[in-house]
Amino acid sequence: MKKTIITKAQMGKVHPLIPEYYEQFTAGKLSRREFLRGATLLGLSATLAACAAPATQVAATAVGASDAAASGGIVRGGTLRNAMQLQLLDHPARLSWIEGANVVRQVGEYLTETGVDNITRPYLLEKWVASDDLLTWTLYLRKDVTFNNGDSMNADDVVFSFGEWLNPDIGSSMLGLLSYLNGPEDVEKVDDYTVRLHLNSPNIAVPEHLFHYPAIILHRDFEGDFVKQPIGTGAFTLEEYSEGERAVLKRREDYWRMGEDGQPLPYLDEIIIVSIDKDAAVAAMQSNQVDTMYIPRPSDWLAMKDNPELVVRPAQTSQCYTVRMRVDIEPWNDVRVRNALKMCQDREKILQLAYFGEGDLSIDAHIAPVAPSFCEKPIPAYDPQGAKALLAEAGYPNGLKVVLSTKNDEAEPEIAQALKELAAPAGFDIELDITDSGGYWDRWTEVPLGITAWAHRPLAVMLLSLAYTADSDGNPVSWNETRWVDDEFSTLLRKAEKTLDLEERRGLMCQLEQIMQDRGPIGNSFWKRVWNITNKKFQNVKSHPSSYDLFYEVWKSEA
Amino acid sequence: MESQQNIKKKNYSLRLERISQSLRLIFSSKIAIIGLSMFVFWVVLGIVSIFWTPYEPNATQFAQNLTPNATNWLGTDHLGRDILSRLMTGTQVILLKTRLPGIGVIPGGVALWGVFGSLLLGTVLGLNAGYRGGWTDQVIMQFLDALIAFPVIVLYLVVISALGRGDLVVILAITVTGAPGVARLARSLALDIRTRDYIRAAETRGESPWYIMFKEILPNVSSPLLVDGMLRVGYAIFAIGTLGFLGIGLPPPDPDWGNMVNEARRNIFSNQLAVIWPALSISTLVIGLNLFADGLNEEINRFQK
Repeated sequence: MKKTIITKAQMGKVHPLIPEYYEQFTAGKLSRREFLRGATLLGLSATLAACAAPATQVAATAVGASDAAASGGIVRGGTLRNAMQLQLLDHPARLSWIEGANVVRQVGEYLTETGVDNITRPYLLEKWVASDDLLTWTLYLRKDVTFNNGDSMNADDVVFSFGEWLNPDIGSSMLGLLSYLNGPEDVEKVDDYTVRLHLNSPNIAVPEHLFHYPAIILHRDFEGDFVKQPIGTGAFTLEEYSEGERAVLKRREDYWRMGEDGQPLPYLDEIIIVSIDKDAAVAAMQSNQVDTMYIPRPSDWLAMKDNPELVVRPAQTSQCYTVRMRVDIEPWNDVRVRNALKMCQDREKILQLAYFGEGDLSIDAHIAPVAPSFCEKPIPAYDPQGAKALLAEAGYPNGLKVVLSTKNDEAEPEIAQALKELAAPAGFDIELDITDSGGYWDRWTEVPLGITAWAHRPLAVMLLSLAYTADSDGNPVSWNETRWVDDEFSTLLRKAEKTLDLEERRGLMCQLEQIMQDRGPIGNSFWKRVWNITNKKFQNVKSHPSSYDLFYEVWKSEA
Repeated sequence: MESQQNIKKKNYSLRLERISQSLRLIFSSKIAIIGLSMFVFWVVLGIVSIFWTPYEPNATQFAQNLTPNATNWLGTDHLGRDILSRLMTGTQVILLKTRLPGIGVIPGGVALWGVFGSLLLGTVLGLNAGYRGGWTDQVIMQFLDALIAFPVIVLYLVVISALGRGDLVVILAITVTGAPGVARLARSLALDIRTRDYIRAAETRGESPWYIMFKEILPNVSSPLLVDGMLRVGYAIFAIGTLGFLGIGLPPPDPDWGNMVNEARRNIFSNQLAVIWPALSISTLVIGLNLFADGLNEEINRFQK
């Protein structure tokens, strides 16, 4: 029998990152299982990846050659000043703002990490092992991790953290995410460094869920207020936290991870976070009073992109603004009306007006190109005449007056105004109801027609089950703002959630995307790009698709 | 028959005389002329915009954030819309038209109707308080003082969050916030006038309080009230601008100047002019009205002396 061999070039054709993972695998940095998971998540079928692992005869380049070269320039010390709103901070499991998580993640850490490349890897874990039926996940903890109070991290801390996430009294959003665990009794301590999860239904996204921003690993004696008790395994210690004012984080001397220079991370001595609004942050960035800011808006990007003192690092995301229609309310219960509005999207124009062209065009499905299982489909054209005919067929030959609700703090007003103009030739008379952010979030699941901003999720299945499914009683789940529940879609999604082979999952995603395009409840013109904008003095800065601040390996060239 | 015609002619010439007197009053104040010119400039521009603007004001047909150029004299905004066309159209909703749900468009801008509402409500309350005195005065003024004690922005927010957005709600918000000031003025004027002999005479004749308030007192307090109203149009424009800036004013995309400032503010670091033009428009209109009112007030006082 002829042995199947896949070359590095062939891997690169599937996804440019796969050869990199292969290099890490051959250098011993990734286990075979980790390589397989990464490669399959990126699009290489499990069979081919398995063949590639032992058979490929490609000489690996020296490990971390580029890093080694870069490490020659590493400078230790210095302060990074970050402009970001500081909200009330108490229990990390209760975090509901990424800003708060960006403070806590400097002090505490996660079991896994979804990197800037959208791939999830073990972090406080050495590895994870899932059973074939995906019902049992065994988490193997690293043995060299210590908290900043000197205690070693072990299974007790992880079991305690799961207990906090699954405790309804704490009110963590992890509770909903880990719905496949009935309670703390499903989290088993196997030994001091091994924890086993017993799921009540298979789920492929467990590693990604462990990097959900409230999932900081807590010390077993944590009492509920992180500002009073800032104990974590992270590289910085929390010296000061004043809500709405500033936070100060100092370098920890005995952090467990080593830098490229052989000394413990981090490279920076201090991080100071000042709580100012975005307009002030842009002015402060331009006058060199702060070094970076949290989530620059498109207008901020426009203002700063040509500043020679600043470096702009874009990142592709699965963040988007969905024009969502409630299918349990007239006229949106008629698929023809929904599709007519979808046809009124001149996606390129909307992307240009709302995001200065900085994003990726999309079909009307909530599955982003950055998702490993994405299935590419042609972008629908702007077709107001077709939309008009569909509206007439649906019983609205003289057009239709509708109210479009949304909020005003991001790009929604621009999308709403563009859509109003673009949909007018089709017969849609759209009245805009644009309120402040709080005003919309109070009713985002209730309005008949709205524009909702959705955050980044590394795997498409994570989001689809959150927003387009029903619970066990057949009622739409709490974040199903459109009330759209489609039997065929749900069945395929459940199948995708337990399909490890990416090629097979991609096939399922193709069908899911087509169903959403044909009869789904959303219009989606584009996927947002996010930017990290930082002073050019800072090196090794990464732009994360979820806008997470990863500062451990950042250094300042003029300390 | 002939004598009736003569009376009509006399009345007509009297009216003409009054109009020319008023015009002389206005034109004898340079400040009033400057203010009036600024106001008329915007009214004319608004009227022109009903029939013609350089481009469709809501059409996103140009490149975004353009600086002034031969095609777009004032440049374009963040959505690629012509700023001049939007400024011209923005005048309409302030001074020339009001959109009422179920009725359509009626003449007179939101600012004018708002000020009319506050003049009407404030005058009725103020005259009653001033003329009747006693507990009526106490109740009305305590209520109005309580309203004045509220910060204006809070009152706007209360009215708008209770009733939703729209032209009518903005008119109501301006009416509610403006009426206490008008009432205070009307009351103080009525307190003075009610002691005059001709009021005593009317009371002796047995005229009703309403007749005395609106036939005897009101004509004699109308000048200061009108001047105050003129100033209030300026405040109302400012209020509409503030509401627009807060994002709770008139619904988009029809342009109003405050909303234009608010939207352009996001791009202020890359397109400052998009903020400056509507801000300048608000300022010139408000300053124009203030100058006109000041000049008029000065001349009325001089004329009365």
